Amino acid sequence: MPKSSFYEEEVYPSPMRQTWNEFQRNHIALGGLWCLVFFLLTSLVGPMLLPYGPLQQNTDALLLAPAWAANGDIEHLFGTDALGRDILTRVAHGCRITFGVSFILVILSMLVGCSIGAYAGMSRGIRSSVINHLLDAIMAIPTLLIAIIIVAILGTGLMNAMWAISLALIPQFIHQTRDIVRREFHKEYVTAARLDGAGNNRILFHSILPNMIEMLVVQGTMALSVAILDVSALGFLSLGAQSPSPELGAMLSDSLETAYVAPWSIALPGAAIFLMVLSINLVGDGLRTALKNRLTQ
Amino acid sequence: MLIYLGRRLNLLVITLLILCIASYILAFLVPGDPLINLSGNPSPSADQSAQLRLMYALDQGYVAGFWQYLKLTLAGNWGLSLTSQNPVFQDILQFLPASLELSFYAMLISLLVGLPLGIMAGLKHRKFADMGILSVSLMGFSVPVFWLALLLILIFALQWGMLPISGRLSLLYEVPHQSGFMLIDILLADISDKSAVLNDAIRHLVLPTLSLSIVTSALVIRLTRRSVINVMSSDYIKAAYAKGLSHAQVFWRHGMKNALLPIMPQLAMQFTVLLTNAMIIEVIFSWPGIGEWLIQAIYQRDFPAIRGGMLAVSSLVVIFTIAVDIIIRLIYPLSKRQFHAQV
Repeated sequence: MPKSSFYEEEVYPSPMRQTWNEFQRNHIALGGLWCLVFFLLTSLVGPMLLPYGPLQQNTDALLLAPAWAANGDIEHLFGTDALGRDILTRVAHGCRITFGVSFILVILSMLVGCSIGAYAGMSRGIRSSVINHLLDAIMAIPTLLIAIIIVAILGTGLMNAMWAISLALIPQFIHQTRDIVRREFHKEYVTAARLDGAGNNRILFHSILPNMIEMLVVQGTMALSVAILDVSALGFLSLGAQSPSPELGAMLSDSLETAYVAPWSIALPGAAIFLMVLSINLVGDGLRTALKNRLTQ
Repeated sequence: MLIYLGRRLNLLVITLLILCIASYILAFLVPGDPLINLSGNPSPSADQSAQLRLMYALDQGYVAGFWQYLKLTLAGNWGLSLTSQNPVFQDILQFLPASLELSFYAMLISLLVGLPLGIMAGLKHRKFADMGILSVSLMGFSVPVFWLALLLILIFALQWGMLPISGRLSLLYEVPHQSGFMLIDILLADISDKSAVLNDAIRHLVLPTLSLSIVTSALVIRLTRRSVINVMSSDYIKAAYAKGLSHAQVFWRHGMKNALLPIMPQLAMQFTVLLTNAMIIEVIFSWPGIGEWLIQAIYQRDFPAIRGGMLAVSSLVVIFTIAVDIIIRLIYPLSKRQFHAQV
């Protein structure tokens, strides 16, 4: 029986709900979201479900082909590498490290970048001019280059690479937040709040921040894809995570020597990075389009 | 315009000065004796040590020391590399053109591929062609560049044996170093088998250029498509249609210029992304460029070389950015509206 509605009441979905409705209409982006959820689950519970450890070596099965190849074995679904380590296990652990690390450092740089950006957006005169000009110069340098330079100073290692990439990501967030804050400050609802007697801080947290969050999420997904690519690139160059660690980029550089006999040990970890970044980009694009559609309605 | 030029040059000088200060501070932050880190002389005798201290003005405080360092840097005296004992500046001059050559060709190809595809996708917005191009570009944009390079090596070099795996030129050939750009050097050089050498150099170029340009073309497609869509839905395009112009006339007379000019700065910015990706690609293909050199220096903790390489690459990027900014300002009058620096 269809639900009957007693009242001819119009439903106004909340802004978040509207964005979600818009987002849902884009099936490809929705697929990306499912893929992202899959990677999230893999990195959270995947390592617990697998019987092997990421460093555990099985000397009876070196360079075993994946299970779907003719000489593969179902015990090692993705095959093994030159030291007999199970690649599926390592990829699951690698997703945890690469994805988790990137997620943490995006959150970190978002917090720092937004605080500085909000400050820069509200300040006037020489202070804002100095921040703007320095920032524009730094923004021009690609994040990976900044990260390589910082790693060169701090020394190699996953921790240092994390610091380097989060420092390199901060300018984007400052730039974005500063632009939004500056733009919103001229709008009427801010003036209304100001007429009510609200101070700068109150306006920032109660009026502008709720309007900013969605745009920050979009920016965050973009930064997340950059961060994953950078973390794995540094791992690949042995500047980030070091060799036995199952970080996806480090795994790739590990299996370089056996690339010819065991192409799957290159293809599978790389494919994991690729799918992860692809799904994040799909979600980011979908969110951005949804947001744009909502705002132009 | 003069005020704008002044501001930009001011920004350029200040940024370069900050980079210099950072590189000077680096010599004190990294482990080891600052004197060794600055000069690159691993075990100076007492005599040399005193001389170097005088040269770098280490005993007269940081400001005098930095002033001295700045003068030496501008004069091209960047110290010696700790591992090879070559002058860092000469090394950079030798390796940088190889990277620039690679990035330049990759940029050229990605513009040649990306711009037409982007325009096509933009014109056929929400049609089948648009979806196809967009999904391909999204994939190209998400693929990690080092994985792509490895896959290309696996397929084209190892499986099919069509193209060489690494290096810039086969060891059989010897080309004298003149400009550092391999193809120009070959054309200039006085060698017997010129066409064979040229052929070999191009075969070495294919894989690195391809892996670099796939990622960049994807970015170019996205930028162009967005801009074309925005322009084609604007009022003056509707007015042009209302005047009775055909699709081709509207696009070539009104759409094209207005779509491409605003994204010129962003397109040019892709070159810096390209240069960074080229650093990774160089390591994979053993391409003797600045990236491979800098990363080797990082492995060996060769601080004078790290300092020099970092200074060279980042100043190059900053100079390039600001130059592009000024050129855009000259040819695209609408950008005058945004007075503040926008990168």
